[in-house]
Amino acid sequence: MSHEQTSLAFRKNTVRALEDSALRAAMKQATDTFGTKRADAFAPVADLEALRDRASAIRDDVLANLPMYVDRFVASATRAGAVVHRAEDAAAARETIRGILADRGARRIVKGKSMVSEEVDLNSHLEAAGMEVVETDLGEYIIQLEGETPSHIIVPAIHKNRRQVGRLFADRLGVPYSDDPQVLTKIARKALREKFLSADAGISGANFAATDTGSIVLLTNEGNGRMVTSVPPLHVAILSVEKMLPSLADLPAFLRLLPRSATGQTITSYVSVITGPRTPGEATGAKELHIVLLDNGRTEILAGESRDILKCIRCGACMNVCPVYRSVGGHAYGWTYPGPMGMILTTLLTGMRNSHPLVDASTLCGACVEVCPVRVPLVDLILGLRRRKVCEGFAGRGERRGMAVFGRAAASPGLFALAQRLAGAFWPLARSLGGKDVAGRMPAPAKTPLRRRMP
Amino acid sequence: MSDTGRGRLFLENAAKAAAGTHAVSGTEELLASLGRIVAMDSPVYCPGVTELEKAAAPLFPVRAAEFAAAAVTVEEVFGAVAETGTIVCVSTGGRAVQAGLLPAHHVAIVRRERVFDTLDDLFAAVAGAPPTNLTLVTGPSRTADIELTLAIGVHGPERLDIILV
Repeated sequence: MSHEQTSLAFRKNTVRALEDSALRAAMKQATDTFGTKRADAFAPVADLEALRDRASAIRDDVLANLPMYVDRFVASATRAGAVVHRAEDAAAARETIRGILADRGARRIVKGKSMVSEEVDLNSHLEAAGMEVVETDLGEYIIQLEGETPSHIIVPAIHKNRRQVGRLFADRLGVPYSDDPQVLTKIARKALREKFLSADAGISGANFAATDTGSIVLLTNEGNGRMVTSVPPLHVAILSVEKMLPSLADLPAFLRLLPRSATGQTITSYVSVITGPRTPGEATGAKELHIVLLDNGRTEILAGESRDILKCIRCGACMNVCPVYRSVGGHAYGWTYPGPMGMILTTLLTGMRNSHPLVDASTLCGACVEVCPVRVPLVDLILGLRRRKVCEGFAGRGERRGMAVFGRAAASPGLFALAQRLAGAFWPLARSLGGKDVAGRMPAPAKTPLRRRMP
Repeated sequence: MSDTGRGRLFLENAAKAAAGTHAVSGTEELLASLGRIVAMDSPVYCPGVTELEKAAAPLFPVRAAEFAAAAVTVEEVFGAVAETGTIVCVSTGGRAVQAGLLPAHHVAIVRRERVFDTLDDLFAAVAGAPPTNLTLVTGPSRTADIELTLAIGVHGPERLDIILV
């Protein structure tokens, strides 16, 4: 893998990513396409702002009453016949799922796309226990074959082009090389169909959980989510606690926002609403349904000043418009969640000590705030984390001194003008001393400062 | 919205999602439509439970007893949503929702009076006691996981036809 899997390496990873021209071309093409498709999908929606307000208010209500809603979901899902497990942290979730599978002798597992399962690193744990775990979402299947992690929460293999996928399939599956996405998709269909039909268990995530009915809701396009949740006899769903919606009747607002924000679709090909396991006389669904509710630090986030990040519904729109993400891709962030929502969630979930370089991964341009369907105040949250970074002593000495000097100069017009003149005068020297890193990345000071050009 | 307007909007939106759409009136037209849509030399799974399914079933010379062995599933579904061009499949009455998932061709029969205006109307109708499985289906199975290039027919059907009766 070309990137180090730690957010502490963010700076180093960005430099490497910027030099990878195939990556940059793939990222530009993909994020541009997403932008156009998203805009087209929202164009016919008449009262978009009211819809966003409504969705935002529902998510606010969920966070304000989360323990109550989680209890209500547990009660409803249990009544519907599901077995609900609460997992305090990643280790507990992994062990719970391994236990469920091992107790039933499950060896062959098919898996739908789940970022929460990536967060807890589920696959390697199950594989270490001797189980075969097959990712069945096409993008996840590609990166599993390659031994990589997702670089986007919606399109996990966004960093790969069709030729790279073609070569990978030829190498690993022994099929003739093709770079036609339609042909490659058919190859995956054939390889995975056998896996679905012979699997002992399916593992899925969930986009939402309705507390009044105990239903879990999955939005998918390929049909693998439907396979995983209805073909094998055992279904284990893993989701984080904040995915609650008070009522199933709240779902339509999110069905209108999430697919449009994520892929520019009016609605995904499939929306599965699963309420309990198969009952006597029924012919659909797993015979046993287990739901693992993961906390993994959410309760702590809820009590702090960054709680609004938990409103996030994981559409990925913020990363598609982020100038930093668009340039460096998802792997540079070093953990499961990239982009604006990812840099915030990563810092909160893995701790400032393990992720402080990430809080710089933003220009504060606010493009993410403009597209967020549930109005997460991403820029405010990033600024809050930057304050915390300084207060907790993770800002470097150079940064602290530089900011102190800048603060004094910015407060005095005379001093500021002097500093500008000095910066101009010393630029050639700074450029020659700093080498390519400085010259390539920092623009030269303007000959006439902006404030003198303003009327 | 009038029944006709709702039905028309439903089919328009379903067509935008790449479903084949057909509007018929009465059983005779339904059978004629099925005759044009379904490849008669391939094994067809038709549950034969509802009135329309009972009328359709004898049409197919090769019947598959199990949907897993079928190339085509022909079934009447629970309903539809005009707003999004969606058909709604449910698990009630012993119905296998996977029957519309495994075969490569899914033919869904929808009664005109079962078309809801909006997603809100649908969920208001089912939210009290949802079935074990409620699946909204909009167009055929698709992916854009390779260079965001649309490919049809990943794990689900590559062809979806909707007949509004």
